[in-house]
Amino acid sequence: MLKLALMDVKIRKINQDYQGQISQATALKELDKIFLELFGKSGLVDQLSKQFKTLPKDQLKTVGPLFNQVKMKLEEAIRVKREGVRENIYKSLENEKFTLQPSRLTHKREGHLHLATKFKQEIIDLFAKLGFEQFDAPHIEWDKYNFEYLNIPKDHPSKDMWDTLYIDTANLKVDPGQLLLRTHTSNFWPRLMEKGKTPIRAMSFDRCFRYEAVDARHSHTFNQFEIAVVGKDITMANLRFLSDYLLQGILGKEAKSRFRPKYYPFVEPGVGIDCLCVFCHGTGCKICSGTGWFEIAGAGMIHPNVFKATGLDPKIYTGLAWGFGPDRMLMLKHNIEDIRYFLEGDLKFLEKY
Amino acid sequence: MKISLNWLKELVDFNLTTKELAEKLSLVSIGIKQQTLDFLELDLTYNRGDLLSLQGVAREVSAITGSKLLFSPPDEKDYPWTGKDLPETPVRVEEQNLCPVYCIATIENLKVEQSPESWVKRLSDCGMRTVNNIADVTNLIMLQYGQPMHAFDAAKVAKQTLIVRCAQKGEKLITLDGKRRDLNQSDLLIADPKNSLGLAGVMGGKDSEVSNSSTKVLLEAAIFDPVVIRKTSKRHGLNSEASKRFQHGLTKANLLQALSLAIKMYEGLGGKLTAISLVGNLKDEPKIITLTQEKINSLMGVNIPANQVELSLQSLGFSLASQGEAWEATVPYFRQDLNIEEDLIEEVARMYGYENIEGEKLIAEKIPDLDQSLPQFIYDLKVKLKGVGLTEVQTYSFYSTAVLEALEFTKEAKLSAVKIANPISSETEYLRMDLWPNLLEVVGKNLRKGFKDIAIFEIGKVYKQENGQPKETDRLSIALMNDSDNPLEELYQLAQSLSLHLKGVNLNPDSFHPKRKTNGMAEVHLRLLNKLGIEKRVAVMEFLL
Repeated sequence: MLKLALMDVKIRKINQDYQGQISQATALKELDKIFLELFGKSGLVDQLSKQFKTLPKDQLKTVGPLFNQVKMKLEEAIRVKREGVRENIYKSLENEKFTLQPSRLTHKREGHLHLATKFKQEIIDLFAKLGFEQFDAPHIEWDKYNFEYLNIPKDHPSKDMWDTLYIDTANLKVDPGQLLLRTHTSNFWPRLMEKGKTPIRAMSFDRCFRYEAVDARHSHTFNQFEIAVVGKDITMANLRFLSDYLLQGILGKEAKSRFRPKYYPFVEPGVGIDCLCVFCHGTGCKICSGTGWFEIAGAGMIHPNVFKATGLDPKIYTGLAWGFGPDRMLMLKHNIEDIRYFLEGDLKFLEKY
Repeated sequence: MKISLNWLKELVDFNLTTKELAEKLSLVSIGIKQQTLDFLELDLTYNRGDLLSLQGVAREVSAITGSKLLFSPPDEKDYPWTGKDLPETPVRVEEQNLCPVYCIATIENLKVEQSPESWVKRLSDCGMRTVNNIADVTNLIMLQYGQPMHAFDAAKVAKQTLIVRCAQKGEKLITLDGKRRDLNQSDLLIADPKNSLGLAGVMGGKDSEVSNSSTKVLLEAAIFDPVVIRKTSKRHGLNSEASKRFQHGLTKANLLQALSLAIKMYEGLGGKLTAISLVGNLKDEPKIITLTQEKINSLMGVNIPANQVELSLQSLGFSLASQGEAWEATVPYFRQDLNIEEDLIEEVARMYGYENIEGEKLIAEKIPDLDQSLPQFIYDLKVKLKGVGLTEVQTYSFYSTAVLEALEFTKEAKLSAVKIANPISSETEYLRMDLWPNLLEVVGKNLRKGFKDIAIFEIGKVYKQENGQPKETDRLSIALMNDSDNPLEELYQLAQSLSLHLKGVNLNPDSFHPKRKTNGMAEVHLRLLNKLGIEKRVAVMEFLL
């Protein structure tokens, strides 16, 4: 019984003492200190609860609830006081002065460009040499530029290839389902083609979006780089040249790629581009799932329906398009294991590049 | 689709190892997802519906390897119903547009048993489970021909009459998977005069399922409108093997061949065909496409000899009528994906081997200029910002829930924000309206990692609604946390030294220090910082580009 009485008194005393201290505190630091004394590792609360082990069960029934009650009260008191102190600080901001003292020197720091920006410029420079110019299309896009003009009709099963984020049109003067976050940079070519200024030699390195949960290898927000060429005699042989030009330009002269058929609704013939696995050099490893190659880009000859939709005559013009995901490529190049590094602002990561 | 290798070998006499076959298919036909001793799994695309069947794959393998096909289409006079005076199975198709072909065969004298080992193995190699001999026939036929089939227990079909109709308002159905489905008026149903029996082309109903006591079945082989099937399967979240194939589109010739073999397989089990109805136009329209040598060469950038073009297309099942430098090519009935000249050129190109196309430079020509001033300006600005010691970050185009909470994103703000109709989670519900809140989040993250001095910038797009339309604009934002109690001083000087000549955006006074603000830049209000777990002072600026 004595033990119990003692414990009871102890708990009540702690409550009394600290409620007093809390009410008198005027600064956040004081409250932090009190919090640590109470709830920190081997703080009073921790010590007390250790002593409970020595109490018989029936006594614990009495002292337990008291202890919990006091614990909650103290926590609440600290929280309320903290808010009070903060409110006072917020009020005192009114008394602070707006000063712009020119005498103070700015810090010397080392700045960094985002690695995607550097990679973008590298690729842009590479293609600028061949006469390509940048043409960026909107992120919030009409269905027609993202799908319909690209030969992906409404309700066509191929639409399932792109899990799409749609814009809520409740407050817009737009029909539901008409606006979306573009799923690829390919929306730039119908926008450019419909201007009718041929020949076209354009590129875009920009942000795209998909309905995709974020994990180490997937993100709902990512970059694509894409080129489009439209003219009178554009061929698959040109496509092959440009593909090698880019891959060798960024991976080095020894980079080896191969072409194979691949279906995309907006090109015909469609091409999938594999790159010889940079890790195993073709012998087969985990990263390339044992095939020696991994898929790196998609391409093809622009489908006649895209020409028709944008008002160009497919009997006169042909065109090619080539696109890939630079984020994935950067991950391979620099052995980056998590795609989230690109957009989550970890300075330790960003300052490495 | 998983292709049983043993079964494939019974259909085409190829002389390649599995690895060689996988390599050949992936370079000439279609990607391979997986290869094992028992099967090859194809990475199916939305064009090649023909490869959703063993026979289709066998034809493809035969064409690309020059090996012999071990089956040929049966003669129509060998169909089990040909020349027999069978009564009709009662059928009423109310939606002919949505169901152009509907065939029902009544088969009696069946006994439900386990399937033979060889059937079970075929099914399991193709990734399907055995059910019983009656149901397995329908699945084996679907795998072999790509034509889905369904067997109704005749005893459970009122008046043994089948009706193809759209669902009525409020109608319900328990599907084979045991789930109760609320039907929509645009769902296509198979029904009897009393009840609905199944979602056409998607999944059968529980009540008319073949059971151990079934002896008589109504075997269905049909063609349904791909769009209706797609909508129904999406609406009910039912992506079945059957619905996949209906969505790709089916051919009539193939349907009749499949139905014929299915009936023969049932006859092999002791069954007897006692009635049949074949409703609809049963002839495929042949497709003829003109192909010119000139177009082939000009699109591929390669000169392919005429005889090579002919051989390639003939091996793929085309019949050709040559007309000078051009051909009238009749597309094989099983290739529904080929509709225009360019489609045929892809066929020629892949048979030639994409790999054999040599690269060729673009010809020099005058290209109309595109305005490069904005991208150039942005890049130059980034370099300049880096030069004064700032680190570039790129953040998501959304406001996270932490940011929304800290901003006390009001109803009013929500009205002018661009909202996502189908967000992945509440982290992707609103597009960012300013850059600086996302930069603050980055500051907070890095403070917690122990950084004592943070100077970052982002150039990117922000989004909002304006006059009933969404609008996106380019912005520059800088955030500075220099461990002082007045970081705006340094930020201001930094901005001065850059001489940016940009227009500052309006900063909402609720989010900022009551005194410390000037054109487009301010110290962030401590309340907001505290909410993001930041105890330090942070100054930000945001400019229009």
